[in-house]
Amino acid sequence: MIPRALRFRRFSLRLLALLLGLLFAVLATTYLVVSRANERTAHDHARANLELTARIVSSTIGQRIESLAGNAKVMTGDDALKQVRRTGNNRTLASLLQSFSTRVNAPVITFYNADGDLLATSDPAMENENADPFRLLIREAIDQDLPQHTGFSYLKQELHVLIVVPYYAPYPNVFGWFGLAFPIDRAFAWKIRETTAVQLTYVSLDPPDRPRVLATTLPDHSLPPVLAAVLAANRDRLAHTLPPPTEIVPLPDDRYVTLIQFRAMLGEDPVALVLQRPLTPELRSARDLENYLLLTSLVALAAAAVLALVLSRSISEPVRQLAAHTEKIAAGDYASRLTLDRADELGQLATAMNQMSVGLSERDRVRDLLDKNVSPEVAAALLRDGSALGGQEREVTILFADLRGFTTLSEKLTPHELLTLLNRYLDRMSAAIEAHGGVIDKFIGDAIMALFGAPVAQADAADRALAAALAMEKALVQLNTELAAEGIAPLAIGIGVNTARVIAGNIGSHRRLNYSVIGDGVNVASRLQSLTRTPEYHTNVITSAATLAARRPTPPRSPASSPSSASSPLPTFRPLGTVPVKGRAEPVEIFAVG
Amino acid sequence: MSRPLLPLFALVLALAATRLAAGTVVVTVKDDKGQPVADTVVSLVPLDSAAAAVPPPAEPAVVSQQGEEFTPYVTAVAVGTRVSFPNHDKIHHQIYSESPAKPFAIPLHGPGAEQTLVFDQPGIVALGCNIHDAMSAYVVILATPHFLKTPSDGTARLADVPPGRYRLDVWHPRLKGDPRRDIVVTADTAATQSISVSLKPDKRLRRAPDGGGGGYK
Ligand SMILES: [Cu+2]
Repeated sequence: MIPRALRFRRFSLRLLALLLGLLFAVLATTYLVVSRANERTAHDHARANLELTARIVSSTIGQRIESLAGNAKVMTGDDALKQVRRTGNNRTLASLLQSFSTRVNAPVITFYNADGDLLATSDPAMENENADPFRLLIREAIDQDLPQHTGFSYLKQELHVLIVVPYYAPYPNVFGWFGLAFPIDRAFAWKIRETTAVQLTYVSLDPPDRPRVLATTLPDHSLPPVLAAVLAANRDRLAHTLPPPTEIVPLPDDRYVTLIQFRAMLGEDPVALVLQRPLTPELRSARDLENYLLLTSLVALAAAAVLALVLSRSISEPVRQLAAHTEKIAAGDYASRLTLDRADELGQLATAMNQMSVGLSERDRVRDLLDKNVSPEVAAALLRDGSALGGQEREVTILFADLRGFTTLSEKLTPHELLTLLNRYLDRMSAAIEAHGGVIDKFIGDAIMALFGAPVAQADAADRALAAALAMEKALVQLNTELAAEGIAPLAIGIGVNTARVIAGNIGSHRRLNYSVIGDGVNVASRLQSLTRTPEYHTNVITSAATLAARRPTPPRSPASSPSSASSPLPTFRPLGTVPVKGRAEPVEIFAVG
Repeated sequence: MSRPLLPLFALVLALAATRLAAGTVVVTVKDDKGQPVADTVVSLVPLDSAAAAVPPPAEPAVVSQQGEEFTPYVTAVAVGTRVSFPNHDKIHHQIYSESPAKPFAIPLHGPGAEQTLVFDQPGIVALGCNIHDAMSAYVVILATPHFLKTPSDGTARLADVPPGRYRLDVWHPRLKGDPRRDIVVTADTAATQSISVSLKPDKRLRRAPDGGGGGYK
């Protein structure tokens, strides 16, 4: 039993492993594909967002420029300014510029004469040297006849956007220049960050080996080394004016999708604008999806495991039943039937096994029947090779027994009682015949035909037949005693015994074969039996001279050698003369056996 | 009445008033938080008779321009008082008013310049400088002799007030509401009037904006 249990388990495990393995492969592939697609989408989304932010930065700066330039144009017409200009007092002009600076929220307002000389500034801390970038812009504006001009530069070492606007007195006579500036500082960076949620950093790449943070929303205002390395790597692209690709830069708190753009400076090396967006928030909804997918996968795997177990059990359990049933059949139990309530191959197999059981039990029954009629050797010989028994001419002794007065009896009894009585009678008679080595050839109604010396030759076949006849008489006396006690009228019997050469073998169609004998001797035996009805003969058993001739010499017979000699005395024969037999030229000499 | 007699006449009048047992009104001005409020002009307007004619002081009041500020911030004067505006700075200033009591403009003027104007209508005059937005001042012109501007302790002591019924007026540049009240001044007594005022937030510009913060603060 243990090996089967192991096999069962192994089968279920194999099915389990197969199902789970397949499912796992599919789910894992799906998960990986989805995860990678999500990451790529997040990266693309972040890049698009960063590019938009870069445009927002430019547009924010542009709006501020337009706003300040517009203010400068209003200042151009201010009467107080014109009055102050007439006084030539530049200190008063500076204090007026301060008022302007407050009014228009311009961090730096400077004023230049038409030659580009700095006259006054709103920011007392601004040195004259800081006027150089403004002068550069003014010169370019004059050269290109621009109504206003802007550029990036450093003021007080800090990144600023500079705007120059002509001072007209009156238009289009340029009598001076306004120089306005606002810083690109941490406040600006945070302003952008508040609207775009993007980390923004301006970095000076001069000198290249020591990049300097100009403005940033990054914590602690310093450039992380990994970002510095990325900038250094991308600086070469600046020379080829190639836009650097977005990269994913790992910073301490997250991985950042990073976009780098360069901004030209007035007479200086460009500065880098670094825009960064953390990947995790971009991936959040995707991660939710992935977690959901993971959960679904686990549930699916669990369901598959349960399903595999159920399925394997639904296969292995009937297989186990079939195996147990096979063992039963092997043990000889053909009666039990296996019922599997299923229409599949296993159900068909069970049906086939049941049919096999039926077949086996049929065979068994046949063998059983043979066992009842012939000796086990004969039965075995018959089962082994039925054809060997066919078509032999041999000498056999044929015994015919018939119930006398059976017709009268049948009128008195119910069919059931009649049949019971008949079987009881036939049973006793058969026993007597078989006890003497005879083979029941057939029952013909209440008549019995038995053979001695066939299919297995017997040297004392005639003796056996005669002894059997006497034993049958005796058995009938015994049966009649029993019947009398039951209130049933006694039975009478007539027996004919004849010995002749006949053809012995299997007779019948190819579907149904009976081992029997045919020949004139059989008819004689039947005729002898019917002669027992002749009242003058006063006998129940009549035999022929042929049988007497076939008897073995009488004297030397040890009592133990023959089953009949011990129980029954030797038969005596009383000649009854000769009788003609239909179909025979010569009459037959008959004897009453007693 | 000849001119030399005028002071003498005033003196006699004042002595007579004293003799008529004038009262004293002590006004304390505090804000919502109980802090004393300076630069508050408190005045008493008689309700029983017309206010006595007040001769303007001989010396002009002075509102100077110094350090790009007007000093003092609030100046209370009687009707008809002359106010002088000296420029103590090294830069130019301009002064203007669009107040109905005294609309005027003193053109851009350089260091050392001094202009004097007579404020002959009662009312409040807001002063500004065309060049410096942070420069701001007020001149309060009153038609009663009983007025004072509170110093930093928020307390003004109005003495020599003839007995009678008065309206106590209160003015401050940032005053919310009108806390005026009627009071009775009795002889030889010092009555204390506690006035609680609500002030609007101070919106004066800083004198020298430092330009920091990039305008994004
Ligand atoms: Cu001024």
